[in-house]
Amino acid sequence: MKVTIKEWNAVASWRWDMPEDEVCGICRVQFDGTCPTCKFPGDDCSLLLGKCGHSFHMHCLLTWIQQESSKGLCPMCRQKFEWKQGEA
Amino acid sequence: MQGHLPPGISIVKSENFEEWQMDIKVLDANPLYQNEIYRLKFTFGSKYPIEPPEVQFIEIPRSSETPRPIPIHPHIYSNGIICLDLLSSAGWSPVQTVESVCMSIQSMLTANTRNERPPGDSDFVSYNRRRPRDINFFYDDDNV
Repeated sequence: MKVTIKEWNAVASWRWDMPEDEVCGICRVQFDGTCPTCKFPGDDCSLLLGKCGHSFHMHCLLTWIQQESSKGLCPMCRQKFEWKQGEA
Repeated sequence: MQGHLPPGISIVKSENFEEWQMDIKVLDANPLYQNEIYRLKFTFGSKYPIEPPEVQFIEIPRSSETPRPIPIHPHIYSNGIICLDLLSSAGWSPVQTVESVCMSIQSMLTANTRNERPPGDSDFVSYNRRRPRDINFFYDDDNV
């Protein structure tokens, strides 16, 4: 079936409070997109902001942190990764 | 990606997400690497970029139209295996990219002045059947 959209009315839109062109340093997808395993952006695939100033998709960073070889360090600056409370 | 690669680095093959090939050349006047182009092979596992890709030089014979020797370097074995901390599980970071790895290897060549292979090269090349990631290199030389 082919559908042609003739008209639409946006009710609301959202985006993370991050620079628009920034991508997650791990998966290289925009922050407003999802990590490689999720399909829908939003609260279910949120961002983690590090105290060191580096941010990632939460799932991307958790996959990294669960690796023994990560030693709990930020992939960007290799300081201990501690997340800031509060959302993007 | 081809459009904005750093000088001296180009993509040869990138049709799938299992293997890529890149050509690199050294840009300064280091006499060890003048007028040569080298071919790197990247092999990506299913866990890339959480786990490092396997990266090594591959050789294309002199008789070919596109000859690609294995560069001489005290950390590069004559079978193309590279001993470089950032390619090991311990030194890898998932924010590294094909581009950043190529640049690191480029500068590893640029900075080298020693016209030699690693110690034990001929034994390693004859007996090693392990994959590069399973080899426990000792990163004992911070000067190269």
